[in-house]
Amino acid sequence: MGTLLRKSVFNIIMLVIGLLMVIPFIFMISASLKAPADVFVNPMQIIPEHIYTLNYETIFHHKYYFHWYWNSISTVVLTVVFRGLLVTMAAYAFARLTFPGKNILFLFLISAMMIPSDTTIVAKFMLYKYLGLINTHWVIILPAAFDVFFIFLLRQFFMGIPKDLTESALIDGASHYGIYFKIILPLAVPALITMGLFTFIWTWNDFISPFIFINDINKQLVTVGLEYFQLEAGKNYALQMAGACLIVLVPITIFAALQKYFVQGIAMSGIKG
Amino acid sequence: MKSNGKTDRPSILARVLQIGYREKGAAFVFVIPFMIGFLIFNIIPMVYSVVISLMDYNSFKPMNMIKFIGFDNYTRLFHDPIALNAFGKSFLYALFYVPGLIILSFLLAILLNRTFALRGITRTFILMPYVANVVAVSIVWSILLDPFGGPVNQIIAKFGIEPPLWLSGVKTALPTIAGINIWQSLAFQTIVFLAAIQGVNKDLYEAADIDGASRWKRLWSITLPVISPTTFFLVITSIISSFQNYASVRMLTNGGPGTSSRVISLNIYEEAFTLNHYSYASAQAMILFAIVLVITIIQWKGQKRWVHY
Repeated sequence: MGTLLRKSVFNIIMLVIGLLMVIPFIFMISASLKAPADVFVNPMQIIPEHIYTLNYETIFHHKYYFHWYWNSISTVVLTVVFRGLLVTMAAYAFARLTFPGKNILFLFLISAMMIPSDTTIVAKFMLYKYLGLINTHWVIILPAAFDVFFIFLLRQFFMGIPKDLTESALIDGASHYGIYFKIILPLAVPALITMGLFTFIWTWNDFISPFIFINDINKQLVTVGLEYFQLEAGKNYALQMAGACLIVLVPITIFAALQKYFVQGIAMSGIKG
Repeated sequence: MKSNGKTDRPSILARVLQIGYREKGAAFVFVIPFMIGFLIFNIIPMVYSVVISLMDYNSFKPMNMIKFIGFDNYTRLFHDPIALNAFGKSFLYALFYVPGLIILSFLLAILLNRTFALRGITRTFILMPYVANVVAVSIVWSILLDPFGGPVNQIIAKFGIEPPLWLSGVKTALPTIAGINIWQSLAFQTIVFLAAIQGVNKDLYEAADIDGASRWKRLWSITLPVISPTTFFLVITSIISSFQNYASVRMLTNGGPGTSSRVISLNIYEEAFTLNHYSYASAQAMILFAIVLVITIIQWKGQKRWVHY
């Protein structure tokens, strides 16, 4: 009996810790369904007495809100496609092929990861202006496509694929393109899902790039759009919460469904190899 | 020009495909596209940042009017109380953020390493803040921590304690931002720790059990030393990320009240994009980079004392 009691207590403690982590989200959903005047009513009601839907109706008739949504979705999809192709190709070469200067080049790439992105923000702004990328969605997509972190991650994964599989294909006369497309990529689907998931979450939640590089409010992505929405809502906290809810909901839903890949990805990135 | 016409000489595409049968050639085709983009989007901005920081591009003016002024932007920095204060605030922030994050994520990883019925759901809950949008998170925390009538202070007031001003207090703003950012990034660190803890060789624990070591002793003498490379990796990455908090600081306090939470990343963005002091902002960013580099090198040298590979 003693162990059963101890186990239950431990479960309860862990659940409380977990709940403490999600209280802000619970509050967010709850407040978004309240009339503006009821948000700070003391004592707080987690489940609103009357469900108030006007906040969401306001969003559905908002001039830009769904523009931002669509902009973010298309930007995320294009980033995933470009990054997926460029990064897997380079990672394949670093993992499975021998070529002169390989190790030095890889060390060079890895050391570039140490540069904080804020360091080069001014230069990036000027360069992108010069390249005509400012105020387009390419200013988010193209720089993100060349991300070293994922080369590192995918190289680890590709190195784990048994050599026998590719060597017999080479003997049968397959080219390296064929091996990459027909053997490596299909086997790397879990790693590709991890990369897609991270790319989605990071692009969806990025604030600085769209804030600095995109000027027009109708071209904005969700994060900066939400700030605009917040300022517009003024002191209407319930409306602010509804706006925040719809933007947090998407990544959380996708994440909850694909949590396994997410955890594997983080664990992989943290272990040196 | 015929696009699909067949000629005697192999087309460029055919020649590129031919290369795929030779290892070095294929490697070239695979790596070059990435390297070109890497050069444009990573290396050129880095070099260009150094160049800008040595110029007098501190207002809107045509490119041909801009001159090299050497290290003037750098020397100016040391006479600028706002910039110096901002560097100080960033250090202070790191002092709250890094130890808090490392200790909490390690404890959480230890707890999650045990098997228990509600493990799956607890883990999902703990991971959630990590995927939430920074602006949404800032909005909800600003409301939760509203000093006058916000839900957190409502609860605190019930206990008869003087409720803090949180983000509106001169002394509390910076630690509050650090706390919110710890809450948000906790998941990443926890999972990395968890993976490391699960990778510890079980034989070591069995040997300790035979010696009759306590749970505390096992943690102290086996787990901590064995996972020290991971701890080292997390300490370095969280120091680097602690200097890059522009988005959350801007959303939560915008540097206020006064300059009490005006960290260096905020200062750099304000100098660059509000005041158009591009060169001066770049010089500050370079100093920030140098500081991060020095901290990393010191850690790297000092790791022999506590990191066991």
